[in-house]
Amino acid sequence: MSSQTAKKDFWDPEISTASRDRIISIQIKNLKDTVKYCYNNNAIYRKKIEDAGVNPDKIDDIADIGKLPFTTKDDLRDSYPFGLFCTPLSQVVRVHASSGTTGNPTVVGYTKEDIDIWANCIARVMYDVGVRKDDIVQISHTFGLFTGGWGFQIGTEKLGALVIPISGGNTERQLKIMADFKSTVLVNTPSYTLYIAEVAEKFGIDFSKLHLKLGFLGAEPWTEPMRVEIEKRLHMKALNSYGLSEIIGPGVSCECLEQDGLHINEDHFLAEIIDPDTGKSLPYGSKGELVFTTLTKRAFPAIRYRTKDISYIYTDKCPCGKTLIKMAKPMGRTDDMLIIKGVNVFPSQIEEVLLKIKDLEPHYLIVLTKENYMDQIGVWVEVSEDNFHEKLMDLEFFEKSIEDKLFSAIGLHIKVSLKEPKTIARSEGKAKRVWDRRQEGN
Amino acid sequence: MSGIYWEEKYETMPREELRELQTIRLQSTLINVYENVGFYKKKFDDAGVNPYKFDDLDDIKKIPFTTKEDLRDNYPFGLFARQMSDIVRIHSSSGTTGNPIVVSYTKNDIALWGNLIARDLYSVGVRKNDIIQNSYGYGLFTGGLGLHYGAELLGATVIPVSGGLTERQIKIMKDYGSTVLCCTPSYALYIAEVGSELGLDFAKMPLKTGIFGAEPWTEEMRKEIEARLFIDAIDIYGLTEIIGPGVSCECSEKKGLHVAEDHFMVEIINPADNARLPSGSRGEIVFTSLTKEAMPLIRYRTRDLSMINEAQCDCGRTHSRMKKPAGRTDDMLIIRGVNLFPSQVEEVLMKVKEIEPHYLIVVDRVNHLDTIELWVEVSEDVFAEKINDLEKFESAIENKLHAATGVSIDVKLKEPKTIKRSEGKAKRVIDKRKGDVI
Repeated sequence: MSSQTAKKDFWDPEISTASRDRIISIQIKNLKDTVKYCYNNNAIYRKKIEDAGVNPDKIDDIADIGKLPFTTKDDLRDSYPFGLFCTPLSQVVRVHASSGTTGNPTVVGYTKEDIDIWANCIARVMYDVGVRKDDIVQISHTFGLFTGGWGFQIGTEKLGALVIPISGGNTERQLKIMADFKSTVLVNTPSYTLYIAEVAEKFGIDFSKLHLKLGFLGAEPWTEPMRVEIEKRLHMKALNSYGLSEIIGPGVSCECLEQDGLHINEDHFLAEIIDPDTGKSLPYGSKGELVFTTLTKRAFPAIRYRTKDISYIYTDKCPCGKTLIKMAKPMGRTDDMLIIKGVNVFPSQIEEVLLKIKDLEPHYLIVLTKENYMDQIGVWVEVSEDNFHEKLMDLEFFEKSIEDKLFSAIGLHIKVSLKEPKTIARSEGKAKRVWDRRQEGN
Repeated sequence: MSGIYWEEKYETMPREELRELQTIRLQSTLINVYENVGFYKKKFDDAGVNPYKFDDLDDIKKIPFTTKEDLRDNYPFGLFARQMSDIVRIHSSSGTTGNPIVVSYTKNDIALWGNLIARDLYSVGVRKNDIIQNSYGYGLFTGGLGLHYGAELLGATVIPVSGGLTERQIKIMKDYGSTVLCCTPSYALYIAEVGSELGLDFAKMPLKTGIFGAEPWTEEMRKEIEARLFIDAIDIYGLTEIIGPGVSCECSEKKGLHVAEDHFMVEIINPADNARLPSGSRGEIVFTSLTKEAMPLIRYRTRDLSMINEAQCDCGRTHSRMKKPAGRTDDMLIIRGVNLFPSQVEEVLMKVKEIEPHYLIVVDRVNHLDTIELWVEVSEDVFAEKINDLEKFESAIENKLHAATGVSIDVKLKEPKTIKRSEGKAKRVIDKRKGDVI
């Protein structure tokens, strides 16, 4: 791996260095196809497009996208599980889903060709920053319904580098393998990466003697100070990778070695920025909600999918030589979704579990903290008057049983602290359900 | 792909032809490891084996075995036969002690593995329209990714749920209409249990097939799973060292697991003296890779006990069948020179009514002679009722055990709930010769 050669050597040079006109002409053609395809193959899309008064044969200009209706997470939930698929299941080879049994998860599907597009998107972002066949890629994202580990698994395979699909957890083993197998690339969440550094220091492991050079970190928001810390402690370059399962998973966009904005794989994903309140398109450079339209996917195309991530799109050229436009790393959400250890969780999911448990009052507070750079989530909840005294002896057991229920519903360990009745502050207006104390520590 | 076969040519190849294919493939594998793995070069040279002149399959006897310790000693990459740039994947099994076992795959190896799994799934009726819920763990463990790539190659829809979160497993099974479940047999039973608690009627679910492996299980367990989940439960076998799942798998006949003999050569040996045993004898299974590139193993000792049946199966496949593995050589006891496996004892006991599934084998040496006692609990009712007849009952069981194992075992019936329970894996043997205490 060499950053010198990477500057001029691209995986898909004809795309990555294409002129603006060329990219736009590819996008118009594929947008037209996608709209027609959705219209012809899915009743829900057909109705939405008709209701918006759009003639799918008359998409001639990239600006026409503004006439198309948005797709939201609620549309996915309402059509659960396969309502927005555009191919029969016999052509779908893979299904991914967001976590959680509370409410309906969002389910997405892939044809063989979709999987190949995905692999290519990842191979491209990896190759363009210098990953080559002889690199050893340790993937510490969890595998399963979550797309994080998968995207890099198939992308690394496509590129021909060596994959170690170690999955998450078991930090000592992560370190042993990193040292013994001489891993050169780490794919992970930023918070778990810092935790690995922490544990390594405890064992006296010196990262300057290991072989790590590059980290593709994502699946949760992270800050510049965190990047500085990661790069200093792990002796590697840390790149921000972005994606969401509704669009394809990781591989929607990724930083180059300039580390200033994430290049969007524009031949497959058309990005817009809108005003989240009015839905109006905003010009490049303005801050707003990111909206993506897939241009090539078959099993689960998305038209104007509202990510609820806040970002903006760069207008200037990147010194790395890639002409694909860049987005700023997301700087917040338009909704109350929390991303903890890579798992998306809404306060309402926690509430739904708590409200099903007898002996609990409907007063709770979700508390976010930071411990060893890892986001921690806990919930304070009041016990009913009668039960508090009676159960005092059993509180720990009761807490544990609620934690188990939360885990099995959400897939995340949420520490439960039972509180005496009337101790959690009441609100007069909209209840404040989340207390974010992450800035206090570290 | 035609009719009931994924690869008819190889699956139904006449055995003579298969033997020729194996000979050619084995020779090129021997040359591969001789030229690329120092460990094997030395082994072959020491044993006087010339891979370039290898032309008789039976000569494999002359090649020394490869063991788990050899893998540990050559950790991490010592047995790789390819450069790292040609290797695209690593899997590993976590050892509780010492170094883990590390295995590697080239692109061709990954494709071969996927093809084997697709073949297995196809042979039990899985097709493109099926929805496969893969509840094996994903990661360095070969179960999850192994099944996944094969299912995807077949063109079925894979739901990579991975293990755990049982309520979510059940919700997905119901909502997505999963038709095939892949997991360990014990987890399948747990899913059945939790599903019933949640009021789920499995008879009404689209689930029709289970692909279960990664741990030994009995025919009784199969009946239980099939009755509770309303499915066909299929046994799949494999081990990380050889490739992962897909080394052998049952067809719809469910009368033994077809070994993919075009890719793996199978032998049965006596674990006590390492002699090769004829087909039909019970012993330790030994596999040799015939086509793997990155890390072929020659005569790898699995420590799994089974037997091989070369007779053609009613399904038309010619590949020989392995009996469900019944225990591990690590569990083997040698009593006055006779090999005895706890699983043999269990098999006999499970057929005796009035006995509880709690027992303990106690081995000792008295006056230079091995002694073996079997402590077993009788059910509450029987104990009170039969108290006078206990001796008679004991000797009836002793006779059954002797007939099945050839060993005289002293049976001691015990009152209910007197044998210690275990919270994890049950400890069934106390060998005082090795210093065990009760």
